Amino acid sequence: MNASPVSPRPEARRSRTALGWPLLAPGLGWLLLLFVLPLAGLLPLSLSLPVDRFGLAVRFAWHGANYTTVLRDHGEVLLRSCGYALAATLLALALAFPLAWLIRFRGGRWKPLLLGLVVLPFFTSYLVRTIAWSTLLADRGPVLAVLHRLPGLGELRLLNTGWAVIGGLAYNALPFLVLPLVVSLERIEPALLEAAADLHAGPLERLRRVVLPLALPGVISGGLLSLIPAIGDLVNARFLGGPNDRMIGNVVESLMLVQMQLPRAAALALLLMLLLAAPSLLLLQRHGRDGALLP
Amino acid sequence: MTPITRLSRRRFLLRAGLTAAGGALAPALLAACRQPGKGSGDGKRLAISNWPLYIDTGSPGEPGTVERFERQTGFDVAYSEDQNDAAAFFAKLRPDLAAGRPVQEDIVVTPYWMAQRLIGLGWVEQLPLAEIANAANLIPVLRKPAWDPQGTHSLPWQSGITGIAYNIEATGGELRTIDDLFSPRLKGRVGFLTEMRDTIGLMMLAEGKDITRPTYADAEGAFRRLEAARADGQIRAFTGNDYQDDLLAGNFAACVAWSGDVAQLARDEPKLRFMVPASGGVRWADVMVVPRGSRHREAAAAWMNFVYDPENAARIAAAVQYISPVQGVQAVLARTPGSEELATNPLMFPDPGLDQRLQSFGALSAQEEARFDERFARLTQA
Repeated sequence: MNASPVSPRPEARRSRTALGWPLLAPGLGWLLLLFVLPLAGLLPLSLSLPVDRFGLAVRFAWHGANYTTVLRDHGEVLLRSCGYALAATLLALALAFPLAWLIRFRGGRWKPLLLGLVVLPFFTSYLVRTIAWSTLLADRGPVLAVLHRLPGLGELRLLNTGWAVIGGLAYNALPFLVLPLVVSLERIEPALLEAAADLHAGPLERLRRVVLPLALPGVISGGLLSLIPAIGDLVNARFLGGPNDRMIGNVVESLMLVQMQLPRAAALALLLMLLLAAPSLLLLQRHGRDGALLP
Repeated sequence: MTPITRLSRRRFLLRAGLTAAGGALAPALLAACRQPGKGSGDGKRLAISNWPLYIDTGSPGEPGTVERFERQTGFDVAYSEDQNDAAAFFAKLRPDLAAGRPVQEDIVVTPYWMAQRLIGLGWVEQLPLAEIANAANLIPVLRKPAWDPQGTHSLPWQSGITGIAYNIEATGGELRTIDDLFSPRLKGRVGFLTEMRDTIGLMMLAEGKDITRPTYADAEGAFRRLEAARADGQIRAFTGNDYQDDLLAGNFAACVAWSGDVAQLARDEPKLRFMVPASGGVRWADVMVVPRGSRHREAAAAWMNFVYDPENAARIAAAVQYISPVQGVQAVLARTPGSEELATNPLMFPDPGLDQRLQSFGALSAQEEARFDERFARLTQA
């Protein structure tokens, strides 16, 4: 992934390999112990049957019907989760791009402060921030108080709607988009923009043909950083959504903790993972090699 | 005698918000990082897990029940209001109890049906009744109740009524029946509880079904009606104890609610009302159980003995305004300055007219319960 376009000399390559494994070991060990092994346990669990209603024990039974059951019961929620996560990522991108552009090209000596301000709210707990949004979006809350003064909007509701869930997801994804975008915009030489202007490219043309292509690595990595946690999120739908806006994280939680259907929860978690892995791997395959994902 | 104090609104809101958050996420987050047996070494400690707004908290110069118990007995009480939803709390304790490991809690206050489940699973200790002399003060029907026929594994905390709470300004008038919750005027501003027996029980009563002997077939109509109301947006949310926040914030115009909560909330929001529909209300009890492996049974017994003293029980009753399980509370309230009107509060001391409209949700067989639970979970959570 980190291959440089210029091949290193053979002896340099050898010493890099010698150093590589010890450097990789902690990360690999971590992944193996806390990701690969639990994941390997999830597969047989997803093919098991619960032994009794309240115990934790399960019986392995090649019970593939768990997958069809969760797809039948929760396929709609799975689709909704993807839709919400995608919408939230696009919304966050629409908010983050101008912000990142402003910080990079107009920030000047305020740049560190502005970046700090982007991150500042995230010093508070995720949960507390989301619950705060439920107060802001309440029927008698400040957001609707302002909106209701606008003419022609009628009676509105935000809290316990899908819009609130998408908004909450977008809000929580914002810094994960702003930071990679700033980094990738940072790599754009202002001279390139001047050159484009010299060639009679207007501001929109410069954005489309110079800034956006060069910022693509930031868009892709920020997009993935937003999309992946958003699909599995359960907090926003729990506190900002209504009963028809539940996401797949809520279903997994309910299956595990309330319905006590551990195998079905495992099946659903694995399905979600497959759903996420396929497009992510495709993106990495296409853009990962040339370092485009590393702004 | 000093006047009996009540909980201040500000403190409540703070705690309710945090409890809602904790209740919703604690099971998922804590299941992984619980430390079994922690705090169970010292015999003078007592960890109690209860629901929010369920005890008197005292005020400066006027200690609440927990503090007075500590002063009187020397026990060190960790009292947490970390319950929001019985099923979610069960999920939090289940991994440890199923594996035979002790949990942090020495006393858990839980609905009667959950107590029955825990007793059936053998996950709770037998109570040292010999050390709880004041249990003699209990109302007779609560001594050997249906959920604990020997009366050896649980003791009641409070009982109460599930009915409907509403903000009379938001509804534009009094509500009288369950049908009012489904009126188009309240579309998107109605809440139901995530407690299956409360929500389904109330709906079954509205359909004239017998909830003392519930069957899945009898509940079909109730489920269908709720599923349709959820799909068309009539129901705004299914909540646990945190329905109180939505009621106060104006998100709910009306919701299924518990009697005492509304009495407490109405002190700060006088437009709130509580009613038991003509078709009937659900009567329930929350009980204290000692999870298996608790090393503080002596402290737990001392606590139970303390709260069954009518004077202490009256303080709790005045603060929470539920139905006290202790005889003599009405007399104590009647002679306490400032609390006289509580002694005639029908929601705390139901009169015969109300009493005959109340029914308790009967026991379900394991298979029936599984069917109810699965359908209800899909209704409320997925």
